[in-house]
Amino acid sequence: MTSSAEHTPERPEGPVASDAGDVPARRGRVRARRAAVMAVPATAVVAGLAILTSQGALGVQFAISGMPFTVTATELNGTGFAQFGGLDEMAEGSPNAGDTGGQVLVVTSVIKNATLTKLCQSVDLGGTNLVIRAGEGAQKVTASDLTTDSTQLSGDAAFNNIEIGNDASTLDKAGPLGRGPKGVFSQQSDTVHIANLRQTNYATTAGVFKLPGLKLGFSGSGC
Amino acid sequence: MPGRSRGDFRRWRAGRPFWGGLLLALGGVEILLTLKASLDVILHVGMQGLAGYLLPAVMLLCGLLILFNPAQRLFYSVIGVLVSLSSWLTSNLGGFFVGLLLGVAGSCLTFGWLPDQEPRVSRRQRRKEARSAKATSPAPQA
Repeated sequence: MTSSAEHTPERPEGPVASDAGDVPARRGRVRARRAAVMAVPATAVVAGLAILTSQGALGVQFAISGMPFTVTATELNGTGFAQFGGLDEMAEGSPNAGDTGGQVLVVTSVIKNATLTKLCQSVDLGGTNLVIRAGEGAQKVTASDLTTDSTQLSGDAAFNNIEIGNDASTLDKAGPLGRGPKGVFSQQSDTVHIANLRQTNYATTAGVFKLPGLKLGFSGSGC
Repeated sequence: MPGRSRGDFRRWRAGRPFWGGLLLALGGVEILLTLKASLDVILHVGMQGLAGYLLPAVMLLCGLLILFNPAQRLFYSVIGVLVSLSSWLTSNLGGFFVGLLLGVAGSCLTFGWLPDQEPRVSRRQRRKEARSAKATSPAPQA
């Protein structure tokens, strides 16, 4: 009698009942109301951060590298500009290395204080592009200690007080960050103005980025 | 014995906020992947650049600690949600929002998790039980 009772489950749900057999009846579970105690304020904070950033009141930091991405802007104005050549190394076994041997020859540009109009930044994720746009309204994007390693750089540039052919280790106009390795060709200037900027970058970092009018989304085409 | 190990895993999973910890750890990993700047660049930038790495690393650590030390889950989930939110400022807008979302969702799931709950009963099952209780309850009174 007992054995037959064991073999016929009380609830007629075949596979579910047999699965439930090797799991304790009482187990941990997420209580929705308890989770909401944290989820509601957290969502409010996320919304607040996004709004403050898109108004340009809050600065954010960027550090991207290892995958090529494109940056365009209709206008770039900067003070304290330095530029020198360098070699970027990718992380060991990076899928982006391709036939480059994991090393890319880059131009490092450092701008102490930069203002960008209509900034657009896109990363190719294979098929779709992640696109970040900012500074399309009256307020402009500002960045301090903006450092980019580019493989391609185009635009209409105007420099003020430019010094060309310095040793990269002697640069002083872009602060301590804008100093390169010894024996490398470099140039520096007091101010820089680039119209219709277009860069293909491998790495970018900035102390603080202020992105008024931030829009982040996925798109079929890049910048 | 694959069936036996699967049962063991389910029992292990039942005793801790599994999805919460996993999502929080995955969020940390995602943000680290979007950063992956070379060490040269970080040292170039200094402390501010380091914070960009520190926060996702703490997220990953909290996620793993939730999985392997679930007794302290409330503390880890509070730290996890704060760090996930701050990653918006320091680490590429929280790994382009994806890592931040995973981290916050994971922390909330962990915060709402309680051990030793009654097994879930489907709505149809509950209704059926209520109906049978109504049908049988007058009998003992009579």
